[in-house]
Amino acid sequence: MAPLTPYTYIQCPCSDASTLGRQADGDSPEDDDLDDRTFDPRAPRSNYSLYPLDYLNYCEDCQQIRCPRCVAEEIVTYFCPNCLFEVPSSNLKSEGNRCTRSCFQCPVCIGPLSVTSIESQPDPNLLAAPDGTPAPHSGPYILTCSYCNWSSTEIGIKFDKSNSIHAQLAKLNNGGTARLTAKDHKERRKEGSHGLAGPPAAPAPTAAGNGDDNEELDVETQFANLKSFYQSQLADSTAGSSGLAGLTDLGFSSPTSLSRIMSIYTGGTVHDRRAKARPGTMREALSSDEGLQIASLDESSAIRELHEAGYDGTISTEQSTNQPPHLGEVYLHGSSRFASSLRPIPYLLRTKRSKRCPVCRHIISKPEAKVATTRFRIKLVASAYIPTITIRPLNIPSSPIPGTLPPLQPSQFILTFQNPRFETIQVTLATPAKTPGRFASKVTVLCPQFEIDANTDVWDEALKDSSDKTKIRRRGAAGEDGTHQAEAGKIWERGRNWVSIVVEVVPASLRMDLLEATANPLKEDEDVLEIPMFVRVEWEVEAGGDEVGTAPGRDRETKERCELAYWCVLGFGRVSQA
Amino acid sequence: MSSSSSKRHSILPPTSTSGPKPPVQFSSSITIADSTVLTGSNPILISSESVLHPRSRIDSLAGRISIGRRCIIHERATLGSVGTSGRITERGVTLGDYVTVEVGASVEAGDTVVGEGTVVGVGAKIGAGAVIGRNCTITARSVIAAGEVLRDNTVVYSNGMRRVDRRGVAELRKKGQARQIGVLRMMIPSNPGKFQ
Repeated sequence: MAPLTPYTYIQCPCSDASTLGRQADGDSPEDDDLDDRTFDPRAPRSNYSLYPLDYLNYCEDCQQIRCPRCVAEEIVTYFCPNCLFEVPSSNLKSEGNRCTRSCFQCPVCIGPLSVTSIESQPDPNLLAAPDGTPAPHSGPYILTCSYCNWSSTEIGIKFDKSNSIHAQLAKLNNGGTARLTAKDHKERRKEGSHGLAGPPAAPAPTAAGNGDDNEELDVETQFANLKSFYQSQLADSTAGSSGLAGLTDLGFSSPTSLSRIMSIYTGGTVHDRRAKARPGTMREALSSDEGLQIASLDESSAIRELHEAGYDGTISTEQSTNQPPHLGEVYLHGSSRFASSLRPIPYLLRTKRSKRCPVCRHIISKPEAKVATTRFRIKLVASAYIPTITIRPLNIPSSPIPGTLPPLQPSQFILTFQNPRFETIQVTLATPAKTPGRFASKVTVLCPQFEIDANTDVWDEALKDSSDKTKIRRRGAAGEDGTHQAEAGKIWERGRNWVSIVVEVVPASLRMDLLEATANPLKEDEDVLEIPMFVRVEWEVEAGGDEVGTAPGRDRETKERCELAYWCVLGFGRVSQA
Repeated sequence: MSSSSSKRHSILPPTSTSGPKPPVQFSSSITIADSTVLTGSNPILISSESVLHPRSRIDSLAGRISIGRRCIIHERATLGSVGTSGRITERGVTLGDYVTVEVGASVEAGDTVVGEGTVVGVGAKIGAGAVIGRNCTITARSVIAAGEVLRDNTVVYSNGMRRVDRRGVAELRKKGQARQIGVLRMMIPSNPGKFQ
């Protein structure tokens, strides 16, 4: 088992039960319970509230830690991760959340696709003469993946231009045939219907004579056909309204419900005044011109393809869900299940987001709006406000398994608190005497209260005489050989803006037979010695803000006393199970 | 870059020249760098215009190694290392023509065949006895198990996924390889005499 690196997680107060709006009850037993309650790092809820210090933000106005769960996010920019083009949010509604330029991902392996021109004739002109006639980049272009060697020729798609591939692709079906838009269909129908006499008013179920009756339509065309058909039906039926009302009003074929549905989906344009006249029933679509699609239950072509391509030729669920919505696809039986029909995926746009404090609405973090820069305009990270805690072993008895803590023997650790503030801070620590959980380890903080000097400019320190070692004051009885004995009530070491103290732990034995309860097996990571610690930090600031500060300083009116208190969890290591 | 020292020093330790010197059979037009390592006891055969980069390693201990025409063996690529089976066969590794073995890739010995025009990617590993077809692409860090057989034009990618390359650019690839060799011959000082 890999040895565990000591860690410190901080609990964001947003998930603290005492702040979750339960105060209104005023129930005294509940309040007492909350006061005595120690934070249990193994409680299932704790998983969601513990963060490393680097993940946390800090709101200067509320003087509170803000975790990723308790900030409000706002999108600053949308951009394509491939071409770094910034997409205006107005385009987003009309064009969707994918890059509409030439950025595509490989449908097979999601690698980036590049646009390359196809050389017209690959001449086997070999090593001897590096021919100086590179093909002029004019020919048809294809998308190729340099990783898995997929290319758009596999689905029969070539492009005429090397730019605006997205627009070109939208007009091409697999196989390179041009996709007919609804307008094209309409024009074609108009040309065809010149010969015929009027619309197909009479229901003709045996319309085999009409060749394109069961023509496969793509989604968009089918919708357009259906829409125009129902619009004409509505107009017809309202013209000849019958006296029978009410009874037929609720079926699928009822014009009123239909017009209601259509007005929902198409923005209310079809719902005209005359529909109030309670029209009778009307017929359904009968041909593909009217938007009827007959399910073709003949799957022999798919079976044949499966025989040819085998399992490797089918697509995975991931690949099919990654496929962009393609308006040109034949919709009826869902999208294709074969890799030979996968289309390139336009890159999904990404966002840059700013974060706000949900309480006071102040901005906590705001990135530069330009896509190419990674800087932030505002970034209030918690590590600039609350002390960093690092754990170092000091005196650990030898363990049968290296890298673990021996049970039932006192181990000592040095906790170093580093003050990032430019004010002196007072730190008060509290831990439960025994850790919560099934295996209660004993914890003693040898110096629970201390003061850390203010942070100063790093260069001030560096430019001072480096031989001046008086800054590092070491308490405790120093032995001749440099070994020290940790003393209760005294800090271990002190520097410019940091203080080390000693914590002594006696890990519990993990032996099951000593546990009086029904011995469940050891749960995952239950052997990790985790200690909840309550940290309370106090400091004085120049009174400038109006709403900050909990208690006004007595000594001077210009000073205000601030405090911040939170739970954190210190992971010291694994306890030996032997 | 400062020109204080004209000689560049490698961070790698010097190549070990221990072990037996294998019998070699070189075409006159090959490019083989001085620091290429050839070891083993079985013959090593390199056909015309192939390029062996510095610190590429060929081990014929587990069988004969034959490299086809216009192959490129990159730095730290290993041909013919004894596989986990430890099998010793007559034909250790056979590379067809136009094969590229990229940096750090390894082709184990034991009747292993790599077909014409195949690219073995960076850090890929081909097990003993595998038979790779023509114009295959083994992408970086892919592993081909011992004894596996790949059909022509197979692409192995993304932790062992397979697909068939239908681009039909084998001829273009060969042309590119030929040009690359043309450049490499100018870049790499050849010293076949050292091994003969």
